Amino acid sequence: MATVEYKSIGKSFGAFNIMRDISFQIADRQFVVLLGPSGCGKTTLLRMTAGLESVSEGDLMISGRRVNDVHPRDRDIAMVFQNYALYPTMKVYENIAFSLEVAKRPAAEIKQRVERAAEILNLTPYLQRYPKELSGGQRQRVAMGRAMVREAAVFLFDEPLSNLDAKLRAHMRTEIRQLHNRLGTTTIYVTHDQIEAMTMADTIVVMRAGKIEQIGSPDDVYDRPASKYVADFIGGSAINFLSGVVVADQGGPAADTKAGRIKLDPALTARPGQRVICGLRPTDVTVDPEGLIAARSMLVERMGHDAQLCCEGPEGQFLAIIDKAARFEAGAEVRFAIAPEKVHVFDAESESRL
Amino acid sequence: MSTIQVRRFAISDSPWPWLFPLVALLMVFTIYPLIYNIWLSFHEFLPRKRTLAFVGFSNWIQLWNDTRFWGALGVTFIYFIIALTCEIVLGMAIALLLDAELPGFGVLRAVLSMTLVIPPAIAGMMFLLMEDPQFGVITYFLNELGLLAKGTPILSTSSLALAGVMVAEIWQWTPFMVLIFLAGLRALPAEPYEAAMIDGASAVQMFRRLTLPMMSRVIAVAVLLRGIDLFRVFDYVFVMTSGGPGTATYTLSLYAWQQTFSNLKWGYGATLSLVSLAIIMVLANLFIKLFKVRW
Repeated sequence: MATVEYKSIGKSFGAFNIMRDISFQIADRQFVVLLGPSGCGKTTLLRMTAGLESVSEGDLMISGRRVNDVHPRDRDIAMVFQNYALYPTMKVYENIAFSLEVAKRPAAEIKQRVERAAEILNLTPYLQRYPKELSGGQRQRVAMGRAMVREAAVFLFDEPLSNLDAKLRAHMRTEIRQLHNRLGTTTIYVTHDQIEAMTMADTIVVMRAGKIEQIGSPDDVYDRPASKYVADFIGGSAINFLSGVVVADQGGPAADTKAGRIKLDPALTARPGQRVICGLRPTDVTVDPEGLIAARSMLVERMGHDAQLCCEGPEGQFLAIIDKAARFEAGAEVRFAIAPEKVHVFDAESESRL
Repeated sequence: MSTIQVRRFAISDSPWPWLFPLVALLMVFTIYPLIYNIWLSFHEFLPRKRTLAFVGFSNWIQLWNDTRFWGALGVTFIYFIIALTCEIVLGMAIALLLDAELPGFGVLRAVLSMTLVIPPAIAGMMFLLMEDPQFGVITYFLNELGLLAKGTPILSTSSLALAGVMVAEIWQWTPFMVLIFLAGLRALPAEPYEAAMIDGASAVQMFRRLTLPMMSRVIAVAVLLRGIDLFRVFDYVFVMTSGGPGTATYTLSLYAWQQTFSNLKWGYGATLSLVSLAIIMVLANLFIKLFKVRW
């Protein structure tokens, strides 16, 4: 049973404030992903949780206890570092056993726990090797093993997959999530990779410049991004933005953009004349000769199962995911349609969702 | 298939033409004197006839039966082991304390290296004065602390003289160890320590399980450099006690020097210096093998 709670957390380096008023709660057994570009403060927040970085303001609670001034070893946490931070002069076995050894556990228990962790992580054949004799994926698993044997209340992951190649990354993603399902340990996972966030998280915390932009389930942040920034950050292909002005169309509101008129969700509370930004996901737009949105086709990028049509729109590149059998002539005008409820509308000033 | 050897600075495919000047200098100034020394150890200088006479193994036999040689060897070993241990332990302790980015630490590190600028013979003279029974500052404080009876001359008391010399040695060379250890400590990665903090290791456990193993190569190189230097100690002893009182501080180098240049026993002096060379070589290679030092 472990919860983590951030109450108005702030962080300053000297006079330089990099984070302010971070508040949210993580329930027991949850897998929370802190997502954002580099420099957004996600790693700093994780390191503060671990106790490797001091908390400048606010209260950091783990399982209801304020831990701001508690030493890392007494916080009941385990951490996996970005470059693994394995002990270079110890063998794999000793690396995994280290926390148990310093806690003076009986030798038999240490052996049993290390061997169990090694079995779960498929590390048994490598226990007598040194870290430098392992591949990146194996080192990554040793780092996981080291965290696992501690049986800590909270797992902290700092971009653990960023040094692996694409295929291994996808594989480890599944493994980490399965491990979480099995152990049920409350987990905070930092990444800049939105695919990792989408595939692994129960809850995603999107961060930007030391502030929280949105907290929600993967579906929430994808289907209802709270701001233009979130809409831009989440999603496999870059979302298309078109700025326009709200007008009253027959049957509901619409936005007039340079690419054409876009019908909006009738439930939307937008007043005519309001300047807005429409976000259109490449997966939501369809090629339709009757469509109201126009762009000039440039290039088709084949991605195996489907293809991406790159067009020149009035505000830069316009992308659409299309059937890979479709053919487009470069330079020809293509018309697109989109269902009104699929259009994400943001206020042009505040860039937040309407 | 062998891998291509990485050379950090390569002008041509073959290093030999470029190494020729070095090899030539080594031949003239190191290899030739060594061979001559070996040859000399089977001869003895006859001052009256002003010639060298072949004496066979008599220098070597004399050495084996020479109690002064064995005494000097013992003194050298005691000096070597105690001074080396003190310099390593003190050097590491100070390096660990100085391993931080705090205001003033840069100045401290710079001040620390100042002892290395002083010529060892001068440092010896300084300590000779500081250990003077009448006005020496070290003597004064030892007297005040009740650790030394008033009027006891440190450097002329057989039980204290060697320690008196070692103080100068340790004072001058501990900073050398500090500098080497600091360079090593500062190059260590931070992440394993963060992981160890979370794993719950104490400062002592981190030092024993992380710092010492990761520093082993640096320590080994420092020990090797200082060890060789310590084994041939000459200047401090020569300046401070000249080997006395009696033979209490007679080291191997000092004894070889005395035999060669005072007693003009060139052959026996050569034999003595060859023995110290052999001991240093055996010890150093044993150490390199044992601690897997890579050059």
